[in-house]
Amino acid sequence: MTTVLAYLDPGSGSMILQIIAGGLAAVAVTAKLYWNRLLRFLRIKKDEPETEADTARSTDAA
Amino acid sequence: MSTSHAPAGLEPGSFRDPESRVFYSGDEVFRALSPDGLSDFEALEASGLLDGERVVRTERADGAAVAEGLLVHKPAAVLRHERIPFVSYPYEWTFSMLKDAALLQLDLLLAALDHDMVLKDSTPYNVQFKGARPTFVDVGSFERMREGEPWVGYRQFCMLYLYPLLLQSAKGVPFHPWLRGSIDGITPPQMRRLMSFRDRFRKGVFTNVFLHARLEERYADRPQQVKDEVRRVFKKELFVANVRKMRKLVERLDWSPPEGVWTAYGERNSYTDDDARRKDEFVREVAKGRDWKLVWDIGCNNGRYSRIAAEGAKTVIAVDADQGPVELLYRDLRDEGNEQILPLTMNLADPSPGLGWRGLERRSMPDRGKPDLVLALALVHHVAISANVPVKEFIDWLRSLGSALVIEFPTREDPMVKKLLAPKRDGLHPDYELDFFERTLNDAFEVERSERLESGTRVLYHARPKS
Repeated sequence: MTTVLAYLDPGSGSMILQIIAGGLAAVAVTAKLYWNRLLRFLRIKKDEPETEADTARSTDAA
Repeated sequence: MSTSHAPAGLEPGSFRDPESRVFYSGDEVFRALSPDGLSDFEALEASGLLDGERVVRTERADGAAVAEGLLVHKPAAVLRHERIPFVSYPYEWTFSMLKDAALLQLDLLLAALDHDMVLKDSTPYNVQFKGARPTFVDVGSFERMREGEPWVGYRQFCMLYLYPLLLQSAKGVPFHPWLRGSIDGITPPQMRRLMSFRDRFRKGVFTNVFLHARLEERYADRPQQVKDEVRRVFKKELFVANVRKMRKLVERLDWSPPEGVWTAYGERNSYTDDDARRKDEFVREVAKGRDWKLVWDIGCNNGRYSRIAAEGAKTVIAVDADQGPVELLYRDLRDEGNEQILPLTMNLADPSPGLGWRGLERRSMPDRGKPDLVLALALVHHVAISANVPVKEFIDWLRSLGSALVIEFPTREDPMVKKLLAPKRDGLHPDYELDFFERTLNDAFEVERSERLESGTRVLYHARPKS
């Protein structure tokens, strides 16, 4: 159970795309997180807990 | 578990996945599992994903008779599935049906990921409709997740769900001929050629179509290298992020029938004239005269008579060549939670053929279950005049179904018939006459009752096949 083997050919290009697309999403989430921290640090934004919706929106923006 | 020579009808559309295979015995549906398939099933059972209504009802049926040679190795277990009343295919679904199937697929995948499981493929043929409720039927598609595994079904999801939906949503081109024309769907390079420069700026199109096609072409000859690299860097978080993003994209895709369809749909629901009232009663009387198991309402339009038939039938298939009213009917049935009426779009003059390997993987409609009652209301003129199918041919085909029949014949004086005949040369369709129709009908069927509606241009018949 260690190899990536499936009866379906995942497609080489399709796999790479997932890294790029997923990577962009991850970068966006991280960026948003740090951006909010920065804003809070500069006291431009009030302290409030990160909501699920925030994370979801930033993922969408990728 | 016994392996006897019990009659085991193999499902001809279930062979691609080596870990499980569907077969029939009597009226029941079974699935044989390989040892690996069984381990996956046990993980699935433990996850609780089988509870609820999203996945077809499934139970262990160890001890059920299995034919030899079903799988490469001796099956490790057998499952029994709830039987879906009538099998349908994505090229017979309306836009919202394919979209709802796509969302179900993605929701199940996300739920599976929570339990470190995945769906090994993404084909809409794994979803079936119980009335207007989509149900995931391929329990064998769930498997335990492997380290570093990307979303294997992503490409298939694009080809069979995303691209067809995009084609209809963005371009107004119905996806049906594309899915019927290719069992694997639309490839990324094909889809790229169907999209214009402007389409790049549509949400999700650049990544899932343009970039996807580009990468596919570039890396096609380096599968091993790519696989190793992907396994090294891929994380479950990436997987989840991609599926979530796809779900949002699909959720936003939209298609609606043209304005005229909406108007007509509403109007036909509020029939008030005497003809309509008597037609309702005629159909209702037949529907309630017996317990019908399977009714086909062919040329169902807004489903008015499908609903009446459903008063006396277990399952009704509502078919129309025009996707518009069927889409609106589906939305209504879905909102009502209807599990009895299955709306489908198909042109009777060009019906779903046998497709796939040996032409057996996907079957024609009569091969999927013959009806015991057929409603053909306000239809024969379309078939005979618009599609140029001789009246006798049509009656012979109806007779071949072996079912009882309610048929309506609009005479040549009927406004709709006049409209259909208008562009044609005078004297065409000499067989489209009431006398000829009745003679032909009487040759093949025993007419039990007929009624001429008040307006005088429409006649209804209830008939049963002559033996």
